Amino acid sequence: MGRETHTAIEVSGLRVQFGTVEAVTGVDLNVEPGQAMALLGRNGAGKSTTMRVLAGVVPPTEGTAFVGGYDVRDATLEAKRVVGYCPDVGGLVPRATPWEHLQLSARLRNLEGWESRAKALLERFDLGLVAHRVTAGFSHGMSRRLSVVLAALHEPSVLLLDEPFDGVDPVGVEATFEVIEDARARGAGVLVSTHLRDLAVQVCGEVAVLRGGTRMATISSGFMAGEDGARAYRALLA
Amino acid sequence: MSDVGRAVADVRHLLWFRAATLRRPRAVVVALAVFGVVTVLSATVPAWVTVDVDTISGAARALPAALGAVVAISVASAVAGGGGRELLARDPASIHPISPVTDHLGALVLAPLNTGWLLQTWLLLGFTALVAGPSRLFGAQVLTVSWVLAATVLGQAVAWGVEWVRRGPRGVRVVRLAIAVVIAVLAAVGSTDARQVLVAGPARVTAAAIEDGNVTTVALVALTLLLAATVLVVVGAQLATLAATRTPRDEGRQESRTHAARPLPGSGLAMMSRIDRASVWRSVPLRRGTLLLAFAPGLVALAGALPWSTLILFPGLVASGCVLLFGVNLWCLDGRGLLWRETLPVAPRTVLVVRARVLAEVLLLAGLLTIALGAVRAGMPTPAEALAVVLALLVVVGQAVSAGLRWSAKSPYAVDLRSARATPAPPLAMVGYSLRLALATTFTGLFFATLAAVDRTGPMVVVAVVLLAVSAWRMVRAARRWSDPERRAAVVAVVAA
Repeated sequence: MGRETHTAIEVSGLRVQFGTVEAVTGVDLNVEPGQAMALLGRNGAGKSTTMRVLAGVVPPTEGTAFVGGYDVRDATLEAKRVVGYCPDVGGLVPRATPWEHLQLSARLRNLEGWESRAKALLERFDLGLVAHRVTAGFSHGMSRRLSVVLAALHEPSVLLLDEPFDGVDPVGVEATFEVIEDARARGAGVLVSTHLRDLAVQVCGEVAVLRGGTRMATISSGFMAGEDGARAYRALLA
Repeated sequence: MSDVGRAVADVRHLLWFRAATLRRPRAVVVALAVFGVVTVLSATVPAWVTVDVDTISGAARALPAALGAVVAISVASAVAGGGGRELLARDPASIHPISPVTDHLGALVLAPLNTGWLLQTWLLLGFTALVAGPSRLFGAQVLTVSWVLAATVLGQAVAWGVEWVRRGPRGVRVVRLAIAVVIAVLAAVGSTDARQVLVAGPARVTAAAIEDGNVTTVALVALTLLLAATVLVVVGAQLATLAATRTPRDEGRQESRTHAARPLPGSGLAMMSRIDRASVWRSVPLRRGTLLLAFAPGLVALAGALPWSTLILFPGLVASGCVLLFGVNLWCLDGRGLLWRETLPVAPRTVLVVRARVLAEVLLLAGLLTIALGAVRAGMPTPAEALAVVLALLVVVGQAVSAGLRWSAKSPYAVDLRSARATPAPPLAMVGYSLRLALATTFTGLFFATLAAVDRTGPMVVVAVVLLAVSAWRMVRAARRWSDPERRAAVVAVVAA
């Protein structure tokens, strides 16, 4: 259920189990409005599962997760309305066009006057010329960029980007930076899951490091930058 | 190692991989054992069944047509499947050095995992046993098995040839035209006394050898068939290699096609329906399969001037075939996009209702097309027959949709329906689904046909209402299960993997 909160993302004691596999074994996170946090960690650290819980796709086994003040377990639809999510894999309906994806998102969220923003986003991500082409033939980078556009369309108060830079060219990376900056400027909380530490520290104020499904530390991006940051990151993963 | 030797070894490796990655190996062993037992029983039991001479004569007369039907099914399945089944789907296979010859041999190995092929082969083995009797059974079945082998290999070779043409310049148009001409010729010949020509030649010679039972004739015909099969395997391998040098044209065209923006519909439901319909009609295997299943039985009915009493069975045939195109794994329509769609703010039940509605539309459309074609030469139906056809269509669509919803949630698969060779589930699972659907829908059709024959419209309506209520109840139960976030998350995890 919704509740009075000033936190964009609030995760406490999160545990997610798939059969006998524990994907997340204890994650606590707090992202304030206007803050961008990076989620770093090795493969299988639980980053994407945590993101999927926050996006309302995977129900938590234990613990609580609030986005925009809504409990993702009990108020799933309300939580989905305030979240913009870029999934880590694919995320596109193969035989629909980008414009049809945007129309579906706009219709289900009852957006008004969204077309000009959609067109601007497509242009910013260099997808304007393929807006009416089916996505099955898209390259990996194009799919990633469109997923970020879809996440940002409705100006969500919680922006979840899972591996948004993976396989994306510099133009796409820059456009994603702009989307994150815009979201922060309007007071949205942003969570970026990525393997690319250098990019993460450029755009996020804080970094949470996950290992084996558990949060190891949350530290300022400044401490994770450069060579010293790389050494600190390796130490946290060891 | 020679190319062929390497291809055979690769097929062995791929089969091992498929076996090692089975989700339910015990169920597969049981299914294969059941197929084996049914094959042995159908090939032997009729030989010892006491029947009158007329029945045996009737089976002997039907033998050439039954032999021809195996060829027709083998060719049609392989051509419609764009070269037949794959031992490993295209995307995971792309990183391995799998040659076109391996692909060809793999498709041959998987060809029997097709309900149409299985049923027709069992029927043929049964006819052979009935005609030959216990004393000449062995030789006759050797001949029949040789025929089935040659027919299957022929189907595969033809499919690669068609695929090679289809992938060439103006290939899609050429193949469509050729298929239309073949269907028109078959329909024209089939509607006249010249239909005997269709089963003349090799089929008649083989049927005569089965009936005659002379050891020398049987040996000679069997050796000829096996020799033909061997030659066709080589020809098929050559054609597969040729086809592999060309890019699948219609798939490439679909993936680069643009669709002009349409106005935003008035509701989320309408927008979801639009996307789901696009996912069906923009997919090569789904569009091709639906049209084939809609037109092929209808043209058979048209050519044979089948009466309404037979047409009542057709909606079941078409619905059970069409639901196999994507209905048994409904969520695979979204592919990896299911993960994104699952984050949209819409009630799960609404998503399920839209998906079920789109499936029902496809089934109804295909069924109506078939009936419309069949109606051209079927004459005026009696009120009972007209009612039976309508009710049979509605009931089998309900049965197929409710089965699809249940199976899609219970056994989802990550499938990319881009390729014409793609199926929504592994081959053996498809056979299981197909047999269960065929059983339910055929019984339904037979039931309505029987009631129509005795002009009992009242019971017909009562039974239809009961069967529709059962399907509706199953759909409601499926919707309730789909509302469970844990079940849904499990399906999303598999489909979007």
